[in-house]
Amino acid sequence: MYLYAGKILRVDLSAGTITDEPLNRDWLRQFWGGWGLAAKYFTELANPAVDALDASTPMIFMTGALAGTLAPLSGRFCMVSRSPQTGTIFESNVGGSIGPELKHAGYDGMIITGRAAGPVFISINDADVSIEDAGYLWGKPIFETEKALKAASGCPAAKSMAIGPAGENLIPFACVGSEAYRQFGRGGVGALFGSKNLKGVVIRGTGGIRVADMEKFLSVARTASAENLMTEANLWAKTDGTPLIVNVTNEMGLHPTRNFTYGVNEDFGAIGTESVKKATISQRACISCPLGCGKFTSVDGVAVEGPEYETLCLGGSNCGMNDLGSIIKFNRTCDDWGVDTITTGATIAMAMDMKEMGLHDFGLEFGGKAEYLSVVEEIATLSTDRGRDLALGTRGLGEKYNAGHLAVNSKGLEFPAYDPRGNHGMGLAYATSERGACHLRAFPLFSETPFDHEALVAEVVSGQNFNGIKWSMCICDFWGSVNSTILADLLSAALGETVTSEELDLAGERIWNLARLFNLKAGFTAKDDTLPDKILKTALKKGPNDGSTMTSADLADMKQRYYTSREWDSNGVPTQAKRAALSL
Amino acid sequence: MTMTLITNPDLCTGCNRCAYACSARHENMFAPALARLSINNYPLQGYSVPSVCFQCKRPDCLTACPEQAITRGLDGIVTIDADICTGCGKCIPACSWGMVSKHPTTGKAFKCDLCGGDPACVAECHFNALTFAEWEGDTAKNKAKQMKFRNEYGSPELKRDAFGKSIMNEAGR
Repeated sequence: MYLYAGKILRVDLSAGTITDEPLNRDWLRQFWGGWGLAAKYFTELANPAVDALDASTPMIFMTGALAGTLAPLSGRFCMVSRSPQTGTIFESNVGGSIGPELKHAGYDGMIITGRAAGPVFISINDADVSIEDAGYLWGKPIFETEKALKAASGCPAAKSMAIGPAGENLIPFACVGSEAYRQFGRGGVGALFGSKNLKGVVIRGTGGIRVADMEKFLSVARTASAENLMTEANLWAKTDGTPLIVNVTNEMGLHPTRNFTYGVNEDFGAIGTESVKKATISQRACISCPLGCGKFTSVDGVAVEGPEYETLCLGGSNCGMNDLGSIIKFNRTCDDWGVDTITTGATIAMAMDMKEMGLHDFGLEFGGKAEYLSVVEEIATLSTDRGRDLALGTRGLGEKYNAGHLAVNSKGLEFPAYDPRGNHGMGLAYATSERGACHLRAFPLFSETPFDHEALVAEVVSGQNFNGIKWSMCICDFWGSVNSTILADLLSAALGETVTSEELDLAGERIWNLARLFNLKAGFTAKDDTLPDKILKTALKKGPNDGSTMTSADLADMKQRYYTSREWDSNGVPTQAKRAALSL
Repeated sequence: MTMTLITNPDLCTGCNRCAYACSARHENMFAPALARLSINNYPLQGYSVPSVCFQCKRPDCLTACPEQAITRGLDGIVTIDADICTGCGKCIPACSWGMVSKHPTTGKAFKCDLCGGDPACVAECHFNALTFAEWEGDTAKNKAKQMKFRNEYGSPELKRDAFGKSIMNEAGR
């Protein structure tokens, strides 16, 4: 079989069984791989009435169709399950190199169900797969765990992923770390591991991936790389990486600062791209990526791959923290103890805001370094009262302390670092995302008309549909100029059959609707497509968007236009005609 | 004039495009584990070290071969003639850097042949961590410095890892 390994690995941790089954080929031309195929497997297997942390909830890991080839930026690795944080269907993906390693081991994907009696890890060495005792690793942070997993595998080239104490403690925003600084970051994938008593997975794959016509495939990949990828549209990732966005969003005036109170951080230069460049000691890339956006930094002997933009903003500006060294420490601690930097930063910022507003004093205040740094481990280990409180995330913290007006999330997922009051399209993207506030579903940030609802709705719909197929190919976000024609050409050369951009576009829309249908079955309604009061009821302050708002009326207007555009009814339910057109 | 593969670990990002390109050229599939070079990745330290065949002037693999299947050409490229190779495997432990391996399907030894003088790996390195240059002056010094990290024991994979860690330590990472 070309491109695909042709097999899915199934591990039932309750029964302790390991089996493999043929990849469902009937689904390939409809869902392709990655997000789409994982969502298809998940919706076929999962009961929408069952909670995320229930043992029966499946976790579906899937590689992209192009993973493990020279198709650039194609090596991300996708997981679909239900989020303990949002309750929705949830896709999360990780870079690094572990996805292609699974394919080289002979599996396109992996389905994990059940709950082991005690802590375990899964060891995959090509066809030799086993469930191993991880009792000796329980309680250990991620870096040490990954080192131990590689030692256990006996292969220095093995790739791993693991949870830290946060995942073990079922914290709803626990991440899974892979190859040190790469994460399944959002939505609590780490807690899903924890709920299954799964400490980690170590993989060594030595097999090959075949394509129908190697010369043609290489020629298509090289042309796409030279003419589309390594161009001005994307080279910012090579020269600067995401820290550049600190400068960009401050100039635009929608850079979340001090718990989404201000649209600019007046001291952003201290944590912006020039400062990160000064701290950079090497450049890092995910597998098969010629951009190398990863900047490895070191300040005062503390090193990290990063900090990335989201961390610089949510763990920096939004916490009133303008000390790069402290942000690097924060980043490294989050990565090691296993919490998502976005939600952790946003929740700490909310706690700081609560003190400023006189609601509650957690000992955390904007710009205060020592407590900001020590609280991360307290959250991950649930070792203090405030750690346990902050482990609730912004929604839970708001409910407990009657501070919902300071909690900035959608469907329970904290906002990424773009304030919708400076671009209403981002607000619609957050509100309608199947997984809560997310910038990786549609990204109309650079629209020339950031308050023109009609134009933004069109941009959000097309962005969501295209990302449906882009994440199904597990192509990195930072190939911003990639299009479905390029993907179709790569697939055609690899598979030796004609794949059209039209069928890929349709698949993207199908995947978006499939996720929507699951959420509707799980009890979500149009009411959940919303934004928090802090955004809808207060104006942004300072900078070019001083006084800008995004009101409930704005959101309602955009939602109705959006539902109409999607051929969903006024309750946000896909019409029968739309479902039929998408074969759903 | 002898052209040789020169690596600069300080510039390597660990992307492995070289290994993919190598296996595409030699195996007609994407199989980095069968590439003629490999990247030792140390993500926690933010460092990667390419392991490449040094095309030794006095190759231990050549000396170890009882069949004279391994030769060093006038271009300095050390090659294995698969038709003569019996798969005895004596050349594999002979290499101190783990750069000769046994092919899982043919059972014969295989190693880097510099693609006959047009290395596919170099063409795919976007970070200048791999270059194809004359073996003289600075390149010779760089190469000699790396070659002093020899390892006599272990599988090729373990030797490459030990080599990578030594280079990384020397770089202070």
